[in-house]
Parts: sequence; C-alpha cells; structure tokens
Amino acid sequence: MIKFLLKRMLWMVLTMWVVFTISFFLMWTVSPEGALLSERQLPEAIKQNLERYYHLDQPLTYRYFIVLWEYLHLNPGPSMKLIDKSILEILREGLPISISLGVLGLSFALILGFASGIISALRRQTVIDVTFRSIATLGIAIPNFVLAGFAIIIFVFQLKLFPAAGWGRPIDLVLPSLCLAAPFAAYISRLTRTGMLEVLGQDYIRTAYAKGLMPTTVVLKHAFRGAILPVVSYLGPATAGILTGSLVLERIFFIPGMGSHFIEAVLQKDHPVSLAIVMVYTFLLFTMNTLVDLSYGLIDPRVKLDK
Amino acid sequence: MAEEIIMADAAEHENKPGKVLLDVRDLAVEFRTEDGNFKAVRGVDFELRAGETLGIVGESGSGKSVTNLAMLGLIPQPPGKITSGSARYDGLDLLRMSDKQLSEIRGNRIAMIFQDPMTTLNPFLTIDEQLTEVTRKHLGLSYKDALDRAIEMLEKVGIPGANRRVFNYPHEFSGGMRQRVVIAMALSCDPDILIADEPTTALDVTIQAQILELMQKLQDEHGTAIVMITHDLGVIANMANDVLVMYAGRKVEQAKVNDLFTDPRHPYTLGLLNSIPRIDEQVGAELSPVAGQPPDMSQTIQGCAFYPRCPYRIDECLQVDPPLVQVGTGTMHACIRDVTTLDPPTPK
Amino acid sequence: MELTDKNDPYEAALPPIDKYREMYNEAKSIRGISLWQDAWRRLRRDWVSMTALSFLVLLALAAIFTPLFPLQSPREQDLANRVALPPEFVSTTKVTNKAGEPEVAPVSLNLVDLKDKEFERRVGELWTTLNPFDQLLLNVRLAIFGDWCVPSLCGTDLLGRDLLSRLFYGARVSLIVGLVATLVSLLIGVSYGAIAGYAGGLVDDLMMRIVDIMYSVPFIFLVLFVITILSEDEVKKQLEGYGISRIVILYILIGAVYWLTMARVVRGQIISLKNEQFVDAARTIGASGFRIVFMHLVPNVLSIVIVYLTLTIPAVMLFEAFLSFLGLGVEPPDVSWGMLSEEGTRVITPVKIYWWLVVFPALALASTLYSLNFLGDGLRDALDPRMKNR
Repeated sequence: MIKFLLKRMLWMVLTMWVVFTISFFLMWTVSPEGALLSERQLPEAIKQNLERYYHLDQPLTYRYFIVLWEYLHLNPGPSMKLIDKSILEILREGLPISISLGVLGLSFALILGFASGIISALRRQTVIDVTFRSIATLGIAIPNFVLAGFAIIIFVFQLKLFPAAGWGRPIDLVLPSLCLAAPFAAYISRLTRTGMLEVLGQDYIRTAYAKGLMPTTVVLKHAFRGAILPVVSYLGPATAGILTGSLVLERIFFIPGMGSHFIEAVLQKDHPVSLAIVMVYTFLLFTMNTLVDLSYGLIDPRVKLDK
Repeated sequence: MAEEIIMADAAEHENKPGKVLLDVRDLAVEFRTEDGNFKAVRGVDFELRAGETLGIVGESGSGKSVTNLAMLGLIPQPPGKITSGSARYDGLDLLRMSDKQLSEIRGNRIAMIFQDPMTTLNPFLTIDEQLTEVTRKHLGLSYKDALDRAIEMLEKVGIPGANRRVFNYPHEFSGGMRQRVVIAMALSCDPDILIADEPTTALDVTIQAQILELMQKLQDEHGTAIVMITHDLGVIANMANDVLVMYAGRKVEQAKVNDLFTDPRHPYTLGLLNSIPRIDEQVGAELSPVAGQPPDMSQTIQGCAFYPRCPYRIDECLQVDPPLVQVGTGTMHACIRDVTTLDPPTPK
Repeated sequence: MELTDKNDPYEAALPPIDKYREMYNEAKSIRGISLWQDAWRRLRRDWVSMTALSFLVLLALAAIFTPLFPLQSPREQDLANRVALPPEFVSTTKVTNKAGEPEVAPVSLNLVDLKDKEFERRVGELWTTLNPFDQLLLNVRLAIFGDWCVPSLCGTDLLGRDLLSRLFYGARVSLIVGLVATLVSLLIGVSYGAIAGYAGGLVDDLMMRIVDIMYSVPFIFLVLFVITILSEDEVKKQLEGYGISRIVILYILIGAVYWLTMARVVRGQIISLKNEQFVDAARTIGASGFRIVFMHLVPNVLSIVIVYLTLTIPAVMLFEAFLSFLGLGVEPPDVSWGMLSEEGTRVITPVKIYWWLVVFPALALASTLYSLNFLGDGLRDALDPRMKNR
C-alpha cells in the first residue's frame, strides 16, 4: 500500500514535470511576449522594465529553469495581467470556489446516479425504468451550457426559485452544481444500472436470497459493491469532465472560480497564470486517478495494487 | 388426477421411517419469453422424509433445478411463473407464502447449496461476513457468537486454521475448500432440509468424493434431509435412498435406489444406465449415450416426451402422455410399455 | 455425371462424383451466418435502434443535399424588418419598398432574374462560397423552386437571419466535425492500442504507462490554449500559407483528445486475440508484424470499435459545442449547432426570452446525440448477444 503510494508520487512528479515542460515551451514559443503583446503603446523604458521584471529579456531555457525552481518552492510568481496580484493569490481566491463547485457537482452526480440507476435496475422494463433512462440519455445528449440556459429560464426567470447569478451565498452554488452534475449523473445512472443488472444475475446473489436475506440487504450489501465498480473507474474521466464543465458553468453563472481565471488568462496570454492553473488541474486529476485506483483495490479484494 | 391417486396409494403402502417434511404436488413452472412459453416443469410431485436423501436425476434442462428453485421462490419472476402446484413444508405451502415468511425459512429451515463454488460466494465480502449474516439473521446471534459459530462450522467441514481463514476472501480458497465453506454456510442454522444442486459437478473427482463424504457425515450427525440434484448416477448410487428421474419437466420414474439400478422401468432410465462406463465391461466396448436431443419445451408436446429418442417406441406412445403407474414395492414409472419383457433394442 | 464418360476406363478409379456433389449441395444449403449478418438481424428487430438509425441516415442525407432545399439564406441579415421573429408559417415578410413605405412581400432569394456577374455576387452574398457540387444542387433548386423559400419555421435570430436555414447548414459542419474528429481519434487509438497489445512486454508496458499518464493531463486546457493561439490572425495567415485551415487543426486536436480510451479498449481485445490460432497461422506463412496487426487482428476488433465509435461521435460533437461556447469553435461565416446553441443561450435575459433560439438548436443537437447513443446501445446488444437485456 505504502509502496503503491510512493510509486504513484514518483509518477505524479514525473507527469507534472512533463506537463510543465510541454506547456511552458508551448506557451512561450508560440507567443513569446505573453500578455505584454497587447500593450504595445507602452513607453520603451517601461516595457523594458516589465520585461526585466518577468525575465523576458533572458533566454527561454534559462527562464525555464528559473520558473521550475520557483515552482519547486510553490511560488509561481506574479501574474502578467493583474500586476498587483500574485498567482498564489489568484489561486487562493479561485480554488476554493471551484473545488466546492466540483465536489458538490460530483456528489449530486453520485447520489442522483446511484439512486436512479439502482431503481432502474430493480424495476427493469417498467415505466420508471424507461423514464429514468430517457432522462439519463437526455442528460448525456445536451450540452452543459444549453442545460444551464434552460435551467435559468425555468428556475430563475419563471419560477424564481434561485438567484440568477452571483457568488457568495451557498444557494448560489446549487443551480450551477446541479447543471454541472447532470451529464455525469446521467452516465453514472447508466453505468450503475448495467452493473447492477449484471451483478443481480450472478450466482452469489441467488445464494444471498437462498440464505433468507431480505431484498434490501441483498441489493445494498451484496450487489452494490460489485455494481459500482464500473462507476468507480469512471470517476477519473468524470473528474476531468467536471473540471471542463466548470469552465462553462462558471462563465454562465458569473462565478469567479479557477475556470473563469483560466479562460481569461488564456485569452489574454497571461502565461504564468495559465501555466499555474494547468499544473493545479494536473495535480487534481492525478490525485483523483490515484484515489480511484486505491478505492478500486479496497472495493474489489481480487485487485492487486501493483502499479 | 390419476397420478395423485397413485401417489396416495404409494404413501400408504410404503413404510418409510421418519415423517414427511416436504410434500410437493403437481408443481409446474413456466418461463415466458419472447420465443414463447417455455414449460420448464410440467407437474412434478415428490415427498421428502426426515433424515433421508432424495436424488433427482436428469439431463440439463430437464427441470430438476427449476423445481427446487421454484419451491423456495428463487426463480426470477418474471419471466418465470409457477403455474400450479403446492409445496407443503411444516403444514404450510411454500408457494403461497409472502416473501417475508419465505425468507424466514430460506437458509434457516431449508438451505441450499449450488453447483459452482467459484461463483456462489460473494467475491467482495470476507467469509466471516457471509457466514455470520445467516446466523445473525435467523438465530439472532450477536456478531461474536455468530463468529464462534462460523469458526465451529468451518472446523466441522474440515477447513484447517478456521479461526484465521474465516477472515479471508473467497478467492483465497481453492474450489474444494470453497464448496466446504458453502456447505458450512448452508448448515450453520442446522436446517431440516438441505437442497444440493449439483454440489460436486464443478469439482475434481478426488474432491468430489471428499465433499460427498462430508455431506454424508454431516447428515448422519444432524439428521438433515437432503435433496441431491445431479446428473451423475454415481453420486446417486452413493448418497440417495430414493431416486426420482426427470425428463422434459416431468417425473418419468421414481424408485428406491437399488431398484433403480437393478430393475429400471423407464426407457430413459435404461438409457442413462447404459451410458455409464462400466469397469466390468470389455475394453474397447462403445458407450451408448442416449441418442438425440430433448424436446423443445416451448412447444406443446404430443404424447410421450421421450418418444423421439425412445428405442422402444410404438405408435400408441404418441396418443397419450403416459401416466405414472406403480409396480412392485414403490417403483413408479411413466411408460406404457413394460421394458423388462422386451428385448434390448439393437443399436442402429 | 457429365464428367464421366460411359466408356471411360478410369471411371472406376474416379471418386463417386454424385456423392460429392450431393455433399457439396448440402454444404451450400447450410450457409453460415456471419457475425455481421447476425448482428444486423438482431439490430433490425430492435425498433429503437432502427428509428435512431433511420433518423441519422435522413439527417446525413439532409446535410449532404442541403442546397437542394428551398431554404432562405443562412447569412443574409435584415436588421430592419426581420430581427428576432418568432417561428412563422407564412412565407411573407415586411419590406420597405422604393417609395420608403412598408409593404408585405413574399420571402425571396431575388436570384432567378439576375445574370452572370450579378448572379455570382448575389450567390456570394447569400452563401459565401459554394463548391461545384453545391453549385449543382443550387441550380437544381432554382430550376424547381425558383426564388420561393420555406417560411422561417424556427424563427429568426437577432440579426434577422433565418434559423431553420442556419440549422441545416450547421448540421453540415457539426456532422463533419463529429465524423472527422472521431476518425482521427479512431486512427490514433486503434493503431496505438493494436501495436501496444501486439508487441506486448516492455513496449506494451511503456506505451500503456504513457496512456495512464495522459489520463492525468488536462488535455482540454492545453487544447484551449493551442486553439487560442491558432485563432491569432498572424498564425492563421501563416497556416493558410501552408494550405491548412484552422478547422482542420480543430479536427486533429479534438481527435487527439479522445483516443486514450479507444487505445485501451483495443489493446485489451488484441491481447485476448493474439494467441488465437489464426495469428499463429499467419505468422507461419511469414506475415509481417504490421500485416498481422492491421490485416488480421484489427478487423476482428472492428465490432467493439464500431460500438465505441457511435459513442465517441456524441462526445466529440459536445466538445465542439463546448469550444463554440467559449468562442473557440468554428468561425463565422460557418455555422455549427454548438455555435447556434451558444447564440441562443447568450441572449437569455430576464427581459425577453427568445425561446426558439435556445430550443431549436438544442433540439437538433439533442436528437442527433440521442440517436447516436441509442444506436450505440443497440449495436452493442446486437454485436454482443451476451450483453443482451442488461
């Protein structure tokens, strides 16, 4: 177990280094001036000062090592656009918002997905099952932002259940995270249903009934674990999807999270900020994938953690 | 109707020791699928007496497993449906019980073990989890007592180091060991009846013998009545007191085990016996399997279901589905011909 | 019979031809059913899949032959008279006549009476550039329908453009993006997975470890970054100098994001297949590794690849919509469904809701993705009967 984690740590460092290197050179070779590009009217002296401040006057490889060194000290330096803010400050503001949005979204997705998937499987080929499956497919087939659009029209403008946009109160998170969760809830529901039906056909479920256990015990204790294995392995890609989805939803609902910062940074060529956010996302994804593998091993005793 | 009268007569004439624990009458089960109604069991009766072993033989699809699963409400409904019959246990009809009542009996008074020990244990739960949940539910034991009981049962079925092994997962046991665990689980509430559905089919031959021996030993100790479902006549010869031969969802012959082997009355039973390799046979003698395929049970069967494969068939066989008739001291068979007086058929 | 002459001295030595012929005929009458025939038979019985399939076929045909239909221009704006009209069923519109007075006139392309240069200029106004095939279809359309246009059944947008027509032309772009990007991902994924699976050992370990790592790389963010750079005018010009349009790069990038799972699936299948006897047979007759992988193994994993394909296309189309939402997808004058949906959601305000601008693009996208998903499910059931009823 510890060996597994150590190995994973090593891989994480390697992965992050590779991502760092590729992103760094990609960004700076294709647009070497970064955010200064848009400020051509700056007086030459100031521009040079700025360039010195950002080490732009140095050769790229030299800068690469400087930035790498700074990153190793968890100090990604200043932003190029928001001059008075350091990247750490931006992250400190954006990350909690994005993480709470993501965690809430993932929880909604899991709860809704599991519940509807299990009910669908148990009431197979009934009206409930068909309804749930149609809704689930709809969730998969509609882009996030369109769903958010419908949600705003219905829940905000028509029913006036939620505030339109904004940030600060917990209620502000509910609608965005529900919209964020929808496609993943749909997918998890389908995976759970399939997994459940497969497991319910297994001999050991018949054994459990033959032991005289009640249906609820059989489903929750004996069938659930096996049925959610596919869901667990889907959580890695789902996290990636949630990160992407939050870009869209933060924008629609005007939430000042990491996604908003990232889009802005990318559009304005604020390379240090983009780089830092890409690194944070890589870290999150890697951690999530490791957690998934770990829980896979915990759920299925036959799986050996050897990677 | 005629069958029931005969059954009643049989019960009077015979003097089996022990009381009747389980009395199954006219049980019929259908599976309703897209391809039609598949009549898996077409009216089966049998009774099981305390401390005895009833063997049920038949080829795959003859309805022997379905009969027992249906009795305990273990066939999925739909597509399965019990269309008629009763199964009296302790004065109550199992087929008319609520799920809750039935679950009180399953695993407690009537336990079941299945064919493949590789798949009958839940791979995600430890053995102690799976063993204790039965006794905790039915006997109301605490986890600690249930664990003691589980270890005791594992020792009884011959698992070395039971107090350690109880915390293992199923995949850490070999096939034979797993079947022992399954037996321990089935017997841990000390049931009246154990239904064993091909308990040795998936095991190596040496392990098979050990498992059968174990079951015999436990039966002697606890007086459990066993229904042994198998297609292996060797197992029947070893274990059973009474034998019931099933073909195409019907009982075609029932007899004491000795009578069945020495004086078979139904052509199908004869065929089965002829298909066993014999040690006293000449080397190189060909085995004669029962030729042909069982009938398509989604179709209505005209006359005797065995007609297409029967070497003794005559035209009358197509007229009626032969009723069970009794001969001698308890043998019953469903054939209108008396095969003992006929010449053995010449192989084609 | 005709082969054996009555006086043929060798007749006795010849094999009994009649008997062989009989056997041959018998063998011929028991024709094996291939996996595909069998699957098709099962699929045909599944009405959901068949509905989905027919819808997709119709959609593809509609997209290919769009210029044939009497639609209004997807480009022409009319800020004076036709801004944000709800769906209407009469093919007339208000126009301002030469005297400056409003009057009601039929919606018209004003194209039929124009000649040569004028005609070309007007076509350019209505559709930008048309390739020869589209030109042909347009001529057929003009011959049949003249200037007459279908009314704005789906309403018009905030620039007075006809939404129905934009949806049709958007279908062309969206479907092409979906197909091409999926093919790119297919190409990369299948080759990568097949090579890793066939090579085995260290190569396999290394290749799969790379895939594992890539799962943790937030590709989409890198893609966003690359696309913004490609959208720079300078870069775009440079690329066009090489004859590469931005949209081609878009395909490749989207495809490059979606190949990982495909690679894993294919590798697993190849590993289970490569010890089969037909591979040994191919090896004994001296087939090269490349040939074995791509001629013998890959065709055998085709069924699972096709199933996966029907599920990748929706993902890719959603990604295109996502890029459009961020303003990084296809660029005007091209339209895609993603872009139309984005335009619809952008104009949602508490004051006025242009519901048709949200509903119709969403409906188009959703019904297509819905069909693809159902078809994928149906295909999986049909190709893998074991999975049936799950």
